[in-house]
Amino acid sequence: MKRLVSIYFALLIAAATFAQSPTALWDEANQAYSEARYADAVTLYQTVIADAPVLTRAYAPVYYNLGNAHFKQGELSQAILAYERCLRLNPTDKNAKYNLRFAQTQIIDNIADTQVFFLREWLTTVRNLLPVGTWMWSSICLFTLMLVCLLLFAFSRSIGLRKAGFYVSIICLICSAVAFANAASLHHRDSVRAEAVITRGIVNAKASPDRSGTELFTLHEGTKVTIHETLGGYANIEVGNYNGWIPLTTLERI
Amino acid sequence: MRKFFSILVLLTAALTAAADNVEFRAQAPAQVIVGRPFQFTYTVNQRAKDLRAPEFTGFDYIAGPYTSQSSSTSFVNGRRSSTFTMTFTYTLMAQKEGSFSIPPATINVGGEHYTSNGVKITVLPEDQPQSNSGSGQTSNSGAAQQQGGQTAQRTSTGPEQGNIFVRTLVSKTKVYEQEAVLLSYKVYVAGVDLKQFTNNTSLPDFTSFLQQKIDLNDVQLELENYNGRNYQTATIYSTLLYPQKSGDITIDPASFEAVLLVPNQARSRSIFDDFFNSYTTATRTLRAPGATIHVTPLPAGKPASYAGGVGKFTMDAKLSSTDVKANEAITLTLTIRGAGNMKLLKTPAVDWPEGFEQYDPKVTNNFKTSTAGMSGTRTIEYLAIPRAAGDYVLPPVQFGYFDTEKGQYQELSTPEYTLHIARGAGDASTAAGTPSSVSYVNKEDIRELGSDIRYISAARFTPVTGTPSPLARISFGSWQMWLLYAGPLAIALLLFAIFRKRIRENADIIGVRKRQANSVARKRLKKAKSLLSQLDNPSAKRSVSGSGLSSISEAFFEEIERASLQYLSDRLSIPTADLNKDTITSTLRAKSVPEDLIDRTNRVLSDAAFARYAPAMGITPSDLYRQTEQLINDLEDCKL
Repeated sequence: MKRLVSIYFALLIAAATFAQSPTALWDEANQAYSEARYADAVTLYQTVIADAPVLTRAYAPVYYNLGNAHFKQGELSQAILAYERCLRLNPTDKNAKYNLRFAQTQIIDNIADTQVFFLREWLTTVRNLLPVGTWMWSSICLFTLMLVCLLLFAFSRSIGLRKAGFYVSIICLICSAVAFANAASLHHRDSVRAEAVITRGIVNAKASPDRSGTELFTLHEGTKVTIHETLGGYANIEVGNYNGWIPLTTLERI
Repeated sequence: MRKFFSILVLLTAALTAAADNVEFRAQAPAQVIVGRPFQFTYTVNQRAKDLRAPEFTGFDYIAGPYTSQSSSTSFVNGRRSSTFTMTFTYTLMAQKEGSFSIPPATINVGGEHYTSNGVKITVLPEDQPQSNSGSGQTSNSGAAQQQGGQTAQRTSTGPEQGNIFVRTLVSKTKVYEQEAVLLSYKVYVAGVDLKQFTNNTSLPDFTSFLQQKIDLNDVQLELENYNGRNYQTATIYSTLLYPQKSGDITIDPASFEAVLLVPNQARSRSIFDDFFNSYTTATRTLRAPGATIHVTPLPAGKPASYAGGVGKFTMDAKLSSTDVKANEAITLTLTIRGAGNMKLLKTPAVDWPEGFEQYDPKVTNNFKTSTAGMSGTRTIEYLAIPRAAGDYVLPPVQFGYFDTEKGQYQELSTPEYTLHIARGAGDASTAAGTPSSVSYVNKEDIRELGSDIRYISAARFTPVTGTPSPLARISFGSWQMWLLYAGPLAIALLLFAIFRKRIRENADIIGVRKRQANSVARKRLKKAKSLLSQLDNPSAKRSVSGSGLSSISEAFFEEIERASLQYLSDRLSIPTADLNKDTITSTLRAKSVPEDLIDRTNRVLSDAAFARYAPAMGITPSDLYRQTEQLINDLEDCKL
């Protein structure tokens, strides 16, 4: 007990001397937010994120709060970016989804959703339920389980166990493949980072990646676009049914 | 002070009333001129003696006191009333200009001492000799401006050095928007006889002002020294103006028509002239100059609760009750008291809690307009009826106004009330345990009042610090990931390779046979049955030859034997090579099959073998068929 107490105090002192721990920064940032010092809160949340060795699911709330602080300052595109990044880390965060929808109602551009086949949409929704790591690990686990079941099928003398082993291994194989496909799809999305948000108040998309290109359409801050390719400081983006080139400086990848 | 005096007068009046209505009063003109004698009188309505007048400091005592008495008696409707007045008159003369007060005097009425009122007298300077009739204005215009007055316009020089003109007086020339300005027209008369004003008056139309006229009930003449000359003055028109826009607002000149009495000069002067002067009337148009008022707009930074008020206000709030039952009314009474543009005040909004039915507030005004501006109270009654029980907070009601004295916005606030609403008697819908009384409940959708983002997450944030574990660092597509797939797969393949023999042994021949034993046996039995029917059928018997018949019966017994043997072989997993009575019996025993069943098995097997080779042994095919079928059924029921 005595030892525990001394350890506790040692930890306290460590916390006091090393006040810049992520937890302390987080608390400070939340305090700033509750006192409506949103600019300070933004800086502090950004520090927490910058100090993170690896952005895990635990950091999703930081992005969420950062988004709120941006939103309260009227920085709509930054808020949308933060919410999107939060949902990348934790796709089931209901508050982030709500606030993202709320922020998207405030942006100027009204993008008519291109009709997506319902099955594809449904598959995307399922894919987005879990982060890439979880999908990958479930795929590995299911694959291993499948092998175990196959061994059971091969070596068991009991007819019940053999039957069970056979069917479970087939189910495991299918599930593992689905999980792998989802992980691969998410990994592709995250490595390509094709989705971006317009950060400039107003930007004109051109028909070619240069200054002289014909201006095709206008986009406003906060609109989410898909980048197809980049060329000489320009990005070929698609939004709704429109496709054009806009400078890379006017958008930020999620 | 004045109020105090009036109270004193009232008190003394009351006292004197008690003591047979003794009234003892001092009277003097309010304004006198230096070097001109005036009369100062004491009147008492009882026979009195021993008047002790105070010292008239600042005044020369010229004559007096002259005592005079008068009495009158009158009968009105048979009632007799008599008045008696005793007057003591002093003649005084002011020594120097200024303001003087004469202390009260005492008198003895029937042994009692009574005290009079004190009198305040303003002494004006003497008329200055007017070398130039118009010069006074220019020299004194500065003073006039300081007073807030406009330069007077001399409209008429009277016949005998007389003078009559109208001045435009404004109380302030620099005001805020909505701040009251008192505008009055004052007539100055000296040396002429003003009889009356005609109705032929033209007033400016005070556009961009809200106008509030002041009733001048009794016009009092006052002496006033203006530009070195003493005038009889009277205010003839007075109004409050509330500017409705900012900037310089010009008030147009006004004109009044006066009727003057002019003595007839044609007649020769005689001693009777003083008594029997004959006069003619003459109308004269008097022009009052215009004025300019500089209206400052109200400064920025209006509070949210600003209700349009400009002036000085106080607010009281009274709540009828903080503890009521549901469906009983609550009244919040706000009393706004003060001076300013009372008429233009907006009713402050009361933010009743949700679930309170609110009604339009009832507004009662009690305003008084005087030369000092509009003042009074505005009482606003807010009625609300709580519809649900519970504790609610009625937030403070804010009332913002612009304080013209301080030049800034002020905010008044009522206290915050906590309301305890108990369940109402008729509130059956919320009262538990009264299902017998059914009341209609108004179903409502949830009303959305506003929308905002959700609040930040305040959960404890303790991320894993330091380097993450090697497992957590495995990313999708890395060789480690593939290793995690390949590793178990390799192990599994290795295991398969090692225990290949076991797998083959394990391959499910036995199980399949076991499962199929019954159906195989049934097939053979079916065949046997068809043979049996051929045996039993007499027509078939006839058509088939005797040797044919015996071959059929042999085939039948063969099928029966095969069926039972095949069944037992499959079911008991005994290889056909080892299939004999002993192994069958021992296997059945080992599987703890009942002894009679084992016996029956042996009997069926031996009967079938026997009948096949010795058909005449009295074993009927149909019996054997039945027994075999029975045996297979029973064995099927056994757990082997």
